[in-house]
Amino acid sequence: IHPTGKLFVLSDGVGKHTTVELSEPLDEEISGIIEVVGRVTNQATIMCVSYVQFREDKSPFDLELYNEALKIIHEFPEYFPFG
Amino acid sequence: QTIVPCTVSQLLAAEQVDETFRICDVEISQVTVVGIVRHAEKAPTNILYKVDDMTAAPMDVRQWVDTDEAGGDNVVVPPGTYVKVAGHLRSFQNKKSLVAFKIMPLENMNEFTTHILEIVNAHMILRKNLMSASSAPPSFPSAGIGDMGGYGGGGSLPVNGLTAHQSQVLNLIKSCPVPEGMSLQELKLQLRSMSMSTIKQAVEFLSSEGHIYSTVDDDHYKSTDAE
Repeated sequence: IHPTGKLFVLSDGVGKHTTVELSEPLDEEISGIIEVVGRVTNQATIMCVSYVQFREDKSPFDLELYNEALKIIHEFPEYFPFG
Repeated sequence: QTIVPCTVSQLLAAEQVDETFRICDVEISQVTVVGIVRHAEKAPTNILYKVDDMTAAPMDVRQWVDTDEAGGDNVVVPPGTYVKVAGHLRSFQNKKSLVAFKIMPLENMNEFTTHILEIVNAHMILRKNLMSASSAPPSFPSAGIGDMGGYGGGGSLPVNGLTAHQSQVLNLIKSCPVPEGMSLQELKLQLRSMSMSTIKQAVEFLSSEGHIYSTVDDDHYKSTDAE
């Protein structure tokens, strides 16, 4: 997380990173798995609209499995449409 | 009666004929949806949530509240929580919504990943069953994804004289509108889980049975069935 709190970097668990920009600085500490909803900018960063922290108090989140699931849904848009 | 995991976008796209909803000809009634609560409004007899799974705009989910029952079910799930909703699809004045019989906050976020995979798995199996005109109701495990890889590699039980692979290839060729027919390359592009040799074997079989014929060259085929 950048010191200004307006930027943070996410890793996808398999070596790739992306920068997330916020319009307002973070007002809380965030850590662990974050789901960001936002727009991709032409600098290949994400302009964050909203984010949510995944709870991992009971079980850790399997990010690798999630990445595999994403590949599958993009491969089968007929079974997982984005409206 | 099965309960089918769906995306909100699928529910919105479902067509209604009388009392029945269909997604690509698959009949659906009871569904599960996983998403994040964006809004929660408590009324005396029900709680109205707006659940967002990012495939479409948040969907209205209504949960009826038993006014005699204390505690438990009457607790409102706060916005920002991921939930799994099990309920019935409804449509009123062309607006779709869900009536939930169960709303469970996700305790393990891996259930979110599981739900995504279950959606693809379930819809794939349900449509495949329709294609092979199977009369047995589909059953698929709610826990455990089964063998996703098995769908592409297996499917060798002949139905109507055609295996699942052959049916898929035939249906694609049938659906091709261009005069020169569908090419092997195009089939390979559409049937990503099938190897080229499997496709070629299917084409050879279909051709020998008279379901398809080659057009401009041995790589292009059209269906003999009038569409």
